Amino acid sequence: MKSINLSPYFNALLLVTVFLLGIWVQSSGFVEQFVYYWDEILYLSGHHIKLTLISGSIAILIGVPVGIILSRPSCRKAADVVMQIFNIGTTVPTLAVLALSMSFLGIGDKPAIFALAFASVLPILRNTYTGLLSVPAHLKEAATGIGLTPIQQLVKVELPNAMYVIMAGIRTAFAINIGTVPLAFQIGGTGLGELIFAGIDLYDTPMMLAGAIPTAVLALIMDMVLGVVTFLIVSKGVNPNRK
Amino acid sequence: MKRVIALLATVVMMVSVSAQAAGKLVVGGKGYTEQLIMSSMTAQYLAGLGYDVDQRDGMGSTVLRTAQLNGQIDLYWEYTGTGLVTFNKVVEKLTPEETYLRVKALDEKVGLIWLNPSQANNTYALAMRKDFAKEKGIESITDMMDWLQSEDGKDAQMASNVEFSARPDGLKSLLEAYEFDMPRRNLRKMNSGLVYQALAQEVVDVTMVFATDGRVKAFGFYVLKDDRQHFPNYALTPVVRTDALDTNPELANQLNKLSALMNDETMSTLNALVDVDGLSIERVSRQFLEQNGLL
Repeated sequence: MKSINLSPYFNALLLVTVFLLGIWVQSSGFVEQFVYYWDEILYLSGHHIKLTLISGSIAILIGVPVGIILSRPSCRKAADVVMQIFNIGTTVPTLAVLALSMSFLGIGDKPAIFALAFASVLPILRNTYTGLLSVPAHLKEAATGIGLTPIQQLVKVELPNAMYVIMAGIRTAFAINIGTVPLAFQIGGTGLGELIFAGIDLYDTPMMLAGAIPTAVLALIMDMVLGVVTFLIVSKGVNPNRK
Repeated sequence: MKRVIALLATVVMMVSVSAQAAGKLVVGGKGYTEQLIMSSMTAQYLAGLGYDVDQRDGMGSTVLRTAQLNGQIDLYWEYTGTGLVTFNKVVEKLTPEETYLRVKALDEKVGLIWLNPSQANNTYALAMRKDFAKEKGIESITDMMDWLQSEDGKDAQMASNVEFSARPDGLKSLLEAYEFDMPRRNLRKMNSGLVYQALAQEVVDVTMVFATDGRVKAFGFYVLKDDRQHFPNYALTPVVRTDALDTNPELANQLNKLSALMNDETMSTLNALVDVDGLSIERVSRQFLEQNGLL
């Protein structure tokens, strides 16, 4: 197995993170503070990841099938309209979505999961749709030529070819998602936002950082994991990382 | 060039004129209804008396206190217990009277004057849904803690706002006083405004409340007895910077007039008008001033 080509963005991020970590460790009594919040960080990180995984999975379960349906020739006409509606959906700020979902789902994790899923659907849907549309026509023709049914063509030819783009959408969605979970604190959702907002409220910088830094680290880890998953599930022939 | 620099310097000076210029006052406030009402009321009252008033609210206690010590805020309404325990780290058990006198003496040294305390005691309390508490046979905080340790209550959730969960006179000392080591999974932290909804919507079974919050009565919550008398007295009191009082000799009397009007009943009625009936803070505080002939 060849080494995985991590994007330059990731390397830059890693450098910046390491640099910030250094500054942070330098600052007064930082390590003790971090140890002090360690249990809290672990507990809240667990919740944080849970919210992301649940809402992210819901977004995948909605985004991918809808993207597939919209990319079918029979739905071409409707696709533009539907994509427009979803595009307008993303322009609504996440905090507004949280507030709205609180008003009809009450407070706690449920409305938070709903709002997070809402915010994560679009990148997945868009990438699924464009990924499937950009599968080269000659491949589809060849597939029809050897007698594959439309379903077989989708599963054997189109999806494998579009998989890299679809996964990129999922990565984007999860990055947005993990960064948005802290906001869910405002409607009673449990996550690292608790430490961030409490830190702001109490003017307690270490507490705030104890929430903010793990959030950033979680986002990086999530992106790495999804990067590895992408590397593993995209077929060898069409995987730009394996060439 | 010199002229430009002089001009800039003048502008900077003008901008940074401190809040203590005669007749100019900055009124502060924390971020929850009662505090927003008090800061709005005080600002309107003082503006009516001819002061040039600036209002800044929505801060946490610590931020507000820091701002006042730095002179960015001239006055705001603080609670005697908070001043004593959170800001001056005094943890002795004192009577309400002693609490006030002690915090007044300590804060005078840092240039802050505690005027007359009001009769409104906005202490922390724990509350449950009335029927639920009855069903479980819970009347006091001790009963509640026992229930949390029983098989039936071990997964119950308790809501607290972030400040209460972190304050020296907050959750930690409450649990110490009642000798209970509450597991982390039982605790949910959220914004102050959400805890009442969380209890009403059965997201949690117990919550921290402010005794003078109008929603306690409106939602029919049962306030648990503080059977070990753990919570200190939190008398709502105007706290003013010494230099603001020096430049405005009338100010102390004017604020004491307002302080004398406040008590538990008044305060929870005002809070309920905003939180339950949905009236605007500005309107509720203006009406109160008009009814009492202060505007």
